[in-house]
Amino acid sequence: MSTATGTPGAGEWAVRADGIGKRYRRGWALRECSFRLPAGRICGLVGPNGAGKSTLLGLMSRQLQPTEGELRLFGTPVDDPAVMPRFAFLGQDKPLFKRFTVAETLRMGGELNPGWDMAAAERIVRSGGVPLDARVGTLSGGQRTRVGFALAFGKRPDLLLLDEPMADLDPLARDEMGTLLMAEAVERGTTVLMSSHQLTEVEDMCDFLLVLSGGRVRLAGSADELLPAHTLVTGLAPDGTPPPELAAHTVVEVRTEGRQFQALIRASGPLPDAWSVDRPSLEEVLLAHLRSPDAPALYVPDARTAEGITTP
Amino acid sequence: MTATVPAAPAATVSRTGLLRGLPWLVARQHRATALGVLAAVAVGCALLVQQRFALVGLLDRAGWPAKEVPQPVVGGSVHGYLLLGLSALPVALAVFVGAPLISGDQEQGTAQLVTTQSVTRRQWLLAKLTWCYSLALLAAVPLGLLHTWYWEPHRSLMPHEWSEGAVFDNTGPMLPAFALFLTAVGVTVGLLTRRVFVAMTATFVLALVVEMAWDRVRTHLAPSRMFTYPLDTELPARLSEAHELDRWVGSADGRLYGWGSCAEQTEAASEACLREKGIVNDVIEYLGYDQMPAMQWTGAGILLAGTVLLTAFVVVRVGRRPL
Repeated sequence: MSTATGTPGAGEWAVRADGIGKRYRRGWALRECSFRLPAGRICGLVGPNGAGKSTLLGLMSRQLQPTEGELRLFGTPVDDPAVMPRFAFLGQDKPLFKRFTVAETLRMGGELNPGWDMAAAERIVRSGGVPLDARVGTLSGGQRTRVGFALAFGKRPDLLLLDEPMADLDPLARDEMGTLLMAEAVERGTTVLMSSHQLTEVEDMCDFLLVLSGGRVRLAGSADELLPAHTLVTGLAPDGTPPPELAAHTVVEVRTEGRQFQALIRASGPLPDAWSVDRPSLEEVLLAHLRSPDAPALYVPDARTAEGITTP
Repeated sequence: MTATVPAAPAATVSRTGLLRGLPWLVARQHRATALGVLAAVAVGCALLVQQRFALVGLLDRAGWPAKEVPQPVVGGSVHGYLLLGLSALPVALAVFVGAPLISGDQEQGTAQLVTTQSVTRRQWLLAKLTWCYSLALLAAVPLGLLHTWYWEPHRSLMPHEWSEGAVFDNTGPMLPAFALFLTAVGVTVGLLTRRVFVAMTATFVLALVVEMAWDRVRTHLAPSRMFTYPLDTELPARLSEAHELDRWVGSADGRLYGWGSCAEQTEAASEACLREKGIVNDVIEYLGYDQMPAMQWTGAGILLAGTVLLTAFVVVRVGRRPL
């Protein structure tokens, strides 16, 4: 199924968005959204409620049509039906036919998908101890998610789109599904794009990040490039306001407490010796960006598309 | 449908049956509905056949048509329920098959599930519509044919005239056409409301409105005819099956007067009135029984055109808008 466009990184983009936007009756849900997701990455899609995450996933899974811009999956425009076998989508409420048995649900996958891998789908279902002749309506939430994953992986997708896949699972099922997801994705080199509110989950599983806020991209890039770009500085703020030296750098977030300030910045030069400098955790970076929707967007080179993009 | 062999290591989900792909999915999803409809149709067909044979036996014993049979011959409770069932069939198909067709999948999210497999929304919709219209035809065609076969030879003994809805809408091409049209109404309402219960309720109300409106349309499906015959004589026998639309009295030069124009207190006064206006004829405006097939095909054509329009709307809308 892989395209013949050379080595990964040189042109094999799982997702390429060029200025896509989606307007609903009440306004823009997504605006001027441009980014690239290299194939083979596990990408976390992070953002507050209403940031446009579900809209973005809806556009990629062809359930919505963009109002503007162009979206390509593996080089194929998303409105071309040829793109359909290449992605699998698992929505937040994991809709399944409740009166079907698990076996019938898997058969549906086989009937509707050209490259269906029944053995793989059955293995995922079996390894969770879900009986094939059970009605889907009688399964627990965790079991149903497992069937959803089996349907998604049985399709042998190159791109797996997940909308808060673990949101309604208990910790045990969450851990189990996380392990399953990572194992299957790594084994096949599947690109995964998953939205999540669980920052620890994102930190553990994802090596690429896409942060949305207010319908725009705030951060896009691989985690090990995004993280070093940020510095957590602490220093004295004698008159209760942050020192003017901060202005020389890109400030994501600054907070003062008494005579002290703490700021998450992207340094654009040497920092004063008086400040104590720390490496932030991924969670701290994400939280800072979510709290400060007006902070300048950051794209690492891999995630940049041709035009209209600021660099660090 | 379960095909699991716990010991087998290889793939155990088998693909049995004739159907593949989307047709299999749609048939499996709506299996219970289809079985329910087909069972009801089988009962209806059996009753129609039984009623006809019972009637034929009765008439043979009575020597009909050589001898008169005492009326009413037909009109038992089974006959009444049959006509009620036939008239309710298109409405029932609209409410229970058409309305939930798309709205059920929108409500349950399974529209999203199916259309994020490797099939487009339009492919899925066409499979759904094909199944839905096939089921409507499978129900309405045999019932319509059997009803015609039961009613037509014995129409002079039946309690309803050919122009009444109970007969006109439930025989020949009309029953399938009505079933298709109302089912299409149900599908459209379901797509727009996105909720099964709302869709079923709205479809039911709309179906009743359509039926009421159709009552006014029926007698306009063919041009009416006029027949003039001498005052106070019998209508010719060939018009005995005609559906009377209006009656006048007329003068020799063709002027028409209302039926009650010369209804006076006394016979003498009436006579004087008739003489004064020169009224010599009875005039009847009617629809002949021979016009019935043309009227039914015209009506069916109108309903099928409506079906095509609604279906086109649904297909275009599903292609453009998210489900």
